[in-house]
Amino acid sequence: MRRRREPAAADDAAVIESSWRDPEQFAVLFDRHAPHIYRYLARRAGRQVADDLVAETFLAAFAKRDRYDLGHPDARPWLYGIATNLVGQHRRDEARQYRITQAAPAEPADPGHADRVAADVTAQAMRTLLEAALAALSAGDRDVLLLIAWEQLTYQEVSRALAIPVGTVQSRLHRARMKVRQVLAGTDAGATYEELTTNE
Amino acid sequence: MNEMELLRDLAQETPLPAPADLDAARARLLAAITTDPATYTTAVAQVTTSPPGPPDGRPAGPLRPAAPAPVLTAAKFMHAGAIGTAALLIVVLAFSWDINLYHWTTGHGHQDTTAQLRQLRPLIITVVAAYGLVVTAMWLWMARATSRGKNWARILSTVLFGLATLQLTGNQGVLDMFFAVLTWLTALPAVWLLWRPASSAFFKSAKAARSRPPSHISGP
Repeated sequence: MRRRREPAAADDAAVIESSWRDPEQFAVLFDRHAPHIYRYLARRAGRQVADDLVAETFLAAFAKRDRYDLGHPDARPWLYGIATNLVGQHRRDEARQYRITQAAPAEPADPGHADRVAADVTAQAMRTLLEAALAALSAGDRDVLLLIAWEQLTYQEVSRALAIPVGTVQSRLHRARMKVRQVLAGTDAGATYEELTTNE
Repeated sequence: MNEMELLRDLAQETPLPAPADLDAARARLLAAITTDPATYTTAVAQVTTSPPGPPDGRPAGPLRPAAPAPVLTAAKFMHAGAIGTAALLIVVLAFSWDINLYHWTTGHGHQDTTAQLRQLRPLIITVVAAYGLVVTAMWLWMARATSRGKNWARILSTVLFGLATLQLTGNQGVLDMFFAVLTWLTALPAVWLLWRPASSAFFKSAKAARSRPPSHISGP
């Protein structure tokens, strides 16, 4: 038998359960996770779109809260899953976001420090390559890669978020990493990548 | 440094938003919360079950938790079932003078002649009317009891749904089958909603609220 949760308990499941009777409790979940969901959406689709998408994520979660499985104390995978689905409906915004970040100039460096300039140029080159690599991935592979690399979700959490088996998460991650490596290694800037990876 | 670490470095370029950046989204969520049916029922429950209690100083009744959206929707289905049954009953009674229609709608399961049916007509009408009224009353009773968090009503509703399912398999006439299918299609979503996690939590908390001792409120 499941342990009875009180609204004062810290975990998300208790908050969602209390929101079934008292919907205002759902605002607690927003205050707890909205900043991170917003940042994830801003990274993927840009700040302009993130404003709308973070609201839509929590509106969708609120509407579906009675279907939440209380066996999962942490609601982050659930919320990231909803957010990822919404990003899927804004692929053009996401593609544009990658183009914008690729085109963005590097931060101006102090001209007196040659090493700093070189480092900035390298960082900018790597960033451009990474964005290109991400843009070239399939949507499913990119979802898995970014939820793990950016949001630090575990395989199990990504599996829950995207409603796919853990094995599929692993295979998609492996494929995505391989493709990113190929893109990074297959260009002029690949030498930098090779240096970085061999110095691990 | 591998590609995962490079990606993490890339992610670090996007800072967390300032609280003001989330104001618009929070306002949209709060607006949705305000218009949610459960919020309305919570407010009504607070108004109808909060102090002041009876003026003679008797103990106030225990606070009953508000029914969540799935239970409210299930109750709506049950009300629809009651309306459908009552409407069908009216139609049946309106055409009860037509013996040929009776032969057609009840199929070939009976052996009665037209003359016998004419003789039995008052009895048949009484039985049909009583059955229709009982079924209508059951729909309304289950809707009321489940909305009030009575778990026995949820169980009884499920048992009745099982009986309605068995009714589908019987050898019946057109009217009987129509009624059975109508009942079953209305009861299916209602029963499904009554067993959603939110509904289960509501029935548990309603039971807990009933088992709590009533609060004593002093009179004026």
